[in-house]
Parts: sequence; structure tokens; C-alpha cells
Amino acid sequence: MTSAVQVTDLRKSYGQTRAVDGISFDVQVGEVFGLLGPNGAGKTTTVEILEGLRRSDGGDAIVLGIDASRHPERLKPLIGVALQTAALYPKLTVREVLDLFRSFYASPGLTSAELIELFDLGEKRSAQTRELSGGQRQRLAVALALVNNPQIVFLDEPTTGLDPAARRSLWEIIENLRHDGRTVVLTTHYMEEAEVLCDRLAIVDHGRILESGTVKELVGRHFRERAVQFDRIDALGDERLAAIAGVSSVAHERGEVVLYTSDVPATIAGVLEHATAVGVEPENLTVRRPTLEDVFLALTGRALRD
Amino acid sequence: MSTLLHLTLANIRSYTRDRAAMFWTIAFPLVFILMFGAIFTGGGSSDRVFGWVDEDGTAASAALRAAFSDLENVDLQDTTEQDGLVTMRAGDLRALLIVPAGYGAAIAAAADQPGPPVALVVYTDPTQQNQTADTFRFVDAVLGPVNLEITGRGPAVVPEARAVQTESLSFISYLVPSILGMALMQLGVFAAIPLVGDRQKGILKRLSATPLRRWQLVGSNVLMRVLLALIQTAVIIGVGALVFDVQISGSLPLVGALVILGAMTFVALGYVIASFAKTEDAANGMTSVVQFPLMFLSGTFFPIDSMPDALKTVARVLPLTYLSDGLRQVMVGGTPFAPLWVCFAVLAGFLVVCLAIAARYFRWT
Repeated sequence: MTSAVQVTDLRKSYGQTRAVDGISFDVQVGEVFGLLGPNGAGKTTTVEILEGLRRSDGGDAIVLGIDASRHPERLKPLIGVALQTAALYPKLTVREVLDLFRSFYASPGLTSAELIELFDLGEKRSAQTRELSGGQRQRLAVALALVNNPQIVFLDEPTTGLDPAARRSLWEIIENLRHDGRTVVLTTHYMEEAEVLCDRLAIVDHGRILESGTVKELVGRHFRERAVQFDRIDALGDERLAAIAGVSSVAHERGEVVLYTSDVPATIAGVLEHATAVGVEPENLTVRRPTLEDVFLALTGRALRD
Repeated sequence: MSTLLHLTLANIRSYTRDRAAMFWTIAFPLVFILMFGAIFTGGGSSDRVFGWVDEDGTAASAALRAAFSDLENVDLQDTTEQDGLVTMRAGDLRALLIVPAGYGAAIAAAADQPGPPVALVVYTDPTQQNQTADTFRFVDAVLGPVNLEITGRGPAVVPEARAVQTESLSFISYLVPSILGMALMQLGVFAAIPLVGDRQKGILKRLSATPLRRWQLVGSNVLMRVLLALIQTAVIIGVGALVFDVQISGSLPLVGALVILGAMTFVALGYVIASFAKTEDAANGMTSVVQFPLMFLSGTFFPIDSMPDALKTVARVLPLTYLSDGLRQVMVGGTPFAPLWVCFAVLAGFLVVCLAIAARYFRWT
């Protein structure tokens, strides 16, 4: 496997703010790589340096063997880009925008008609882009990223603000990019999206990478346990919960208590016992495998979607 | 090249699909011309009324008057040269005809023996080419038979053309190039608004992630505005000619050159505004702040010479003064405020300064 992207100790500051504070990662050819983190973590800045839109302050960002900060003009013909906000000429039609973007490239790949077909925009081909739904806009934005048939595609928050159906339709499109053998670098703050799409991912916070690897590796590295979860009971303090058999740690997430445990039956019994003692029935008691959300919670002490 | 054309086409499509922009480009200047034109040319010289001055007072001059008053569609109004010119300047006479003293005697002499022809003085407004030609058709129709009758040989009476600027007509002749200048200025500075909008929406950023070069982006913008400027020019000149009979007396290539230079200068000013306006709303405000003084203090509606001294000084530094003044010179032969080469030089200088400022401060993201 060869690297499509090599990032080494990348740094970028805006005034006093260190947006990117020494990030390093590699992306292999043909994989979907995700940068996962909350808003303001430095994901977008990182990706925009890779796209040749911003110059780094230090470190290396090599994309397809080209230094993105030094030779952006060599890189731009080769990559596909969908920015965080799908910026489209509002008064041009879908067809016109595709034709326009194709004219920017010396050797465009797919025709506008093929892209319209591929991205299921046939009904809207003559509609002005301001009339498109969020999902359609985002599909068009990804279609625009493909007009030059790039080997690598950067998608910045491709599904933010979309309804679940539109999100799933876009996931399908990203899956297809992988099937075509393209390398995909995407940013997201949706755990589920990262779990579904990414071969590997890096968890980013405050301009640094906290962990990286496959979803399984990340979860496995932190938790061999299960999570027992229920609505917070005020009368039960963390200390009493932590003392329950099997419990290794206690966390709080959006009004719920999460107990990570190696002994699920004993923990549930303990929870019920304590709850009964204070005269409360635990609501929404569930058991689940730990997810990326738990990894993020463990790494940063806060939920991703706060 | 294909990129530049595609981008220009995209700009034109975006623009023509924006009703407000189209209104400012085409309808707004036309409303000005039609409104002011209607006010200031009302009841003017649309009828064929000739002033008649008889300084001779002989039977021959009376016969000539009779020949004119026999013409259909012509009304004569007896007056003196002095009064007649005043009336004509006010726009109430199409032409003023003067039979000089000695006319009768000269005619009588010519019947016996040919001498130098005697002149019939004809005052018209040469900026009104159609009306002037029309007047001379009628004069010739009368003098032809008269000459034939007197001598049967050569002309004994010839028209002597004199020019007079009629006020109502010269106002519309003044106004049409001024409005064209104003429209070009607005077309240019309004370039700031969609530009800032595209930046705010992230379109410029998205474009900068493609191999598109910045000069192509700027070039397509300027190209579109210059094309629109030429369309505007055609519409405004066309309406001026068809509705108000304002004819272009200068060379069209010179008009075209001035229009293109003017459009580019004010587009550059639009880029300067876009360099300092962060949002589309701010661009809107700044555009108004820039365009209203230009519109009212550059001699658009009345000559700069009639302005108070303080405002004259302001007018002297405004670029629109030189565009409108140049346009008046090359379109209707207006009295120059500055020599034509100065108009070109000031606009070119302003263009260079604006480009330098925009190149320094304009941000793409």
C-alpha cells in the first residue's frame, strides 16, 4: 500500500489560536479516512491545507507526492473538493454549474450528463441551485468534486444538516467512491458516520490528534467492557455507582449515566439495588457495546455532540 | 480561453436572472431619460413653426413669405431677429428665416443681369440633424421655383445656414450622454455586490480549489461588465435617437473606446469597494455612499459651470465628471469641461489607482 496523503507535524495558527497544533497522519491509497472531532477542532483547517487553500505555518502536507503548501497549482487539477458549505452559484442550473466546473479542467473525466445520472439529479438538471434541497445541494457538491475524475476526494462535513434519508443517500455515494478505487478524506462530527464509512480515522480535538486507527482498534484499545446506561438519578452519587461490582469508570452523557463494566449482570443488579434503596426506578436502562462516542468521552471528558 | 468564456457566460446568466440588477442596468437610466426628457421637451419644437423676419419690406419679400406660408404643414410667425432667436432658444421655433434688407433690389437687379446671389438666412439647431435637414428641404422647395422664376438660369437666392443652440433640445442632448455616464458608473460600482456575495457564500473559495486562475475570474467579471456596458450604450443611444431625436455627431469608435474605458474604471472602483466590504449588506451601503455623490456632483443633470465654486472643486476630482464630459463631447459635441485627452487620461489614471488598491487589499476568502 502506498500513501496518498502524508501529514507530518502540521501546524497552523490564527493569531494566538493554534488551530492545528502538530498533526501527523497517513492516508493509504484507496481507503476512506476520517477526521472526527467537534466543531473548531481543527479538522477543516487541516483539510484546507491539504487542498492547497491555506498555507501551513510548519510541518509537511504531501498529497499525491506534491507539497500542498508549496505547489498548490500542481495539486489542484488532481484533487476533488467539497467544502463545508456547498457554495454554488444560486442562479445557475445544476447542468450549468457542472458544465462551468468542467471547463476549469484540462481533461475533465465524466460528462455533466453522466454525473447528473450518477448523483440522481436528473429531475433537477434544469433547476437553479437555490431551489435544491439540502441533500440535493450536497450531492451536487460531491458531483462537482468529481468533474475532473480525481484520484483523491476531500469531503468536509459532507452530511452536516441533512435529514437521515439524505445522509444515507450520501453515504451510499461515498461508499461508491471507495468502490471506484478513489481515496477519500472526510471530516465529520457524527460518530455514526465515521463508524459506517471510515476504514481508519483520527480523533481530533484542540488541533491535535488524540487517537487514530480503525474503529475496532480505537474502541478495543479503550474498552474491553460494556456500557450500562440509564437516566441520571440525582440521589445516586458517582462514588456509590463506582463501587458497584464490575464497574471500572463512570461517565455522564446528555442526562444519562454511563457505567463501563466487565460484569454486566452484577452491575445491573447493583444499579437496581441502589435505585430501590433510594426509591427510584431506573429509566431507560440499556446495555450496549462501547462506541466511538465512548472513546471520545473517555479521551476528552465530554460528549462530542454537546 | 474556454474557461474564460464559460465563466463569463455564467456571470451573464447569474446577472440577467437577477431582476434587481437588470432594473438598475437598463430600466433605471431609461426612466431618467424618459422622465427628464418628457419634462424638458414638452410642447417644444415638435410642430414645424418657422420664425419670419422681414428686414426688406418690399413686394419681393412679401412674395417670398407668401410662398412659404402656402406650404402645407408649415406655420410662420412674424418676429424680429432678436426676439425670434430668444423664442427659438426656448424651443418654441423650429427655425428662424431672415430676409435681409436689400433683398427686393437684388432680385430686381438679378432679373436683368446675373450678380452675386442674395442670402436667405436660416437659423437651425445643428445638433438636431433630422429637424435641420427637414427645415432645409422646405426652404429648398420654396427657393427652387423662386430662382427659376427670377432668372431662369442660376440661383439668385441661396440659403445661408446659421446655427443656434435651442435650450430644450440641448438639455436632452446634454442629458443622454450624462445618463449613459451615470449608468456605466453604476454598472461598475455595483460589481462589488455580487462579488462580495460570492465571497460570502464561499463561491470564490470553492473556485480557488480548482485550477481556475485569478486573472480568469477577474477577466470574466470585467468582460461581462464591458459587454453589459455596450448593451446599455446601445439602448440609451437608441432611445435618445428614437424618442428625443438626439443624434450622435461624433465618431462611434471613440464613443465605444470611452464607454469601455469608463466601464473598466468603475468596475475597478467596484473591486475597491469589494476589498473593504465584508458582507453583501456592507457592500450595498458602501456602493450607495459612493454612487450618490458621483451621480449628483459630476454634472449629470446640469453643467458643472453652473455649480457653486465649492462643488465645482469636488466635481473636478470625481472620475464620473470626466467620463460624462467626454461622452458629451464625442456624442453630441458638448462644450468641453476638460479636453478629451484629459478625460481619457483621468479615467485611465483612476483605473490604475483602483487596480493597485484592489490588488493590495482584495481577499478571496
